[in-house]
Amino acid sequence: MTLYTERGQGSAIEDFLAEHAQVLSIAGFFLVCILFFATMTDTFLTGGNILNLLRQAAPILIVASAMTFVITTAGIDLSVGSQVALVNALAAIAIAAGIPWPLVILMMLAAGAMIGLAQGWFIAHQEIPAFIVTLAGLSIFRGIALLLTKGYSIPIRDADGFTFLGRGAVAGIPIPAILSVLVAIIAYVVLDRMRYGRQVVAVGANREAARRVGMPARWVTASVYGLTGLASAFAGLLIAARLGSGSSNAAVGFELDVIAAVVLGGTSLMGGRGTIIGTVLGTLTIAAIGNGLILMHVSPFFTQIVTGAIILAAIWLNTRIFASGLRLGRKKS
Amino acid sequence: MIAGANTKTETGSSGLQPHAGKIAAGARPRVSMRGIVKTFGSVEALRGVDLDLYPGECLGLVGDNAAGKSTLTKILSGTYIPDGGTLEIDGEDVRLTGPSDARARHIEMVFQDLSLCDTIDVAGNLFLGREIIKNGFLDKRAMAEKAKEMLAALDIRIPNLSAKVAQLSGGQRQAIAIARAASFQPQVLIMDEPTSALAVAEVEAVLALIERVKVTGVSVVLITHRLQDLFRVCDRIAVMYEGTKVAERQVQETNLEDLVRLIVGDESVR
Repeated sequence: MTLYTERGQGSAIEDFLAEHAQVLSIAGFFLVCILFFATMTDTFLTGGNILNLLRQAAPILIVASAMTFVITTAGIDLSVGSQVALVNALAAIAIAAGIPWPLVILMMLAAGAMIGLAQGWFIAHQEIPAFIVTLAGLSIFRGIALLLTKGYSIPIRDADGFTFLGRGAVAGIPIPAILSVLVAIIAYVVLDRMRYGRQVVAVGANREAARRVGMPARWVTASVYGLTGLASAFAGLLIAARLGSGSSNAAVGFELDVIAAVVLGGTSLMGGRGTIIGTVLGTLTIAAIGNGLILMHVSPFFTQIVTGAIILAAIWLNTRIFASGLRLGRKKS
Repeated sequence: MIAGANTKTETGSSGLQPHAGKIAAGARPRVSMRGIVKTFGSVEALRGVDLDLYPGECLGLVGDNAAGKSTLTKILSGTYIPDGGTLEIDGEDVRLTGPSDARARHIEMVFQDLSLCDTIDVAGNLFLGREIIKNGFLDKRAMAEKAKEMLAALDIRIPNLSAKVAQLSGGQRQAIAIARAASFQPQVLIMDEPTSALAVAEVEAVLALIERVKVTGVSVVLITHRLQDLFRVCDRIAVMYEGTKVAERQVQETNLEDLVRLIVGDESVR
């Protein structure tokens, strides 16, 4: 006589905690940051500062939403900052050349997607590690931007509609913030509720299994870099619109903020597990730390050190909590 | 659930294909392979193998490493194209062009631990690659309901269908992989080492599952190094040695000792 073994089932609350440990811990950490800066400064929680924070966080959130897809496939895109700079400079050059700004926007978005897909082709079809391809991209795209602008900043004039996208507000809320939240919502729906998102997760979890059940594994791998390219172009346009100029020196170190936001949010660098809600919280946390430290009059040089240390500590805690949560789940057998 | 007792009554009462030991000599095989040859460079992986598969039987395929078991099953599942020989399915001469062609002809293969996505839930894994879509979105509720039916049909018990596959035991994972393959309505189901990584109770569950798949009329090919399993579920055992089939035995005509000698190539028993 044999019995079919069954795992004992813990309480539903315990399952929920284990499943969402990462998002819950980043949410907790975010609240701690908010409370800390709210008590240490008088201005942090004012409406003006919050709107400012959201406006500044918008480009990071847009690219981090796309980066969540890339990291969920166990990839990485280091070139997003350089892509932002390239589109930023190209957009200013194109508008200065007299091309109507709505057309410029379409051209830039298409160019961003094409650049991303080209990198994706090297990664998916030529099987060169994403780290290498996008590291090369990081160098190449910034180089092209520098070459085109000769290092100068190019002003954007007589394109009020364009600059309104970066500076304007609807019902008091900055347009970049509204657009970035829209992007995050779309990313959430696609990753969690649509076939493409399921394919992204499957390719990240077990590429071979995904291929065997007939999923277009190569195309999925390549396409996520198209998404970061598209998102980088969008972010580059918003930054150009906000600053009213295009510069090859835009978004230096941007890729690190983006990757930190995604990983802080609980998306696994090993692939197979991605969360847009976590990415939103991660982005807000990074933006709040940067903003809060400035308000506290901490030296900007010191800010970088603190930001790095906080990210390391948060991710360390995050991994520990998550790992122990998993172990708890297993022990229940 | 009492796996052993349950399966016996099912086999007895189903009225479907009984054990292959009782297959009439004239019964038409579902799959008939003749003179299959496959070489990889200078290595002759298969040197003219004949093999028949009948409906509702379980054929055990054993042999040392590199004896050609996997190559033979990969030819049957369309992964490799043979260099020579013929393959008949239901009496029709076919040349498989690839895995999707084999799948279209209702030949399914369960790969050991290569077929599941750990971070996706049970229902999602059962519907991997053929998700149910409603208005452009994943219909998670419909998938969960159908998944429940699929698992119930094979008497597989998994308490929480929204659990990630990583949280399940090895036996449950293997059961999901088998259930998924079975849901494609296969006529031939090939299993490569389904029990090698499992605990004792889990092995029993998978063996019982193989019995249940078998009584629905599916031809099962079981590759395993666990010879004791063969005697539990197989009707016939084919022994491979150095790219040839050296022996074929009805289960009741052989024993463990005999099999071991056949596998290692002891001339005296052949």
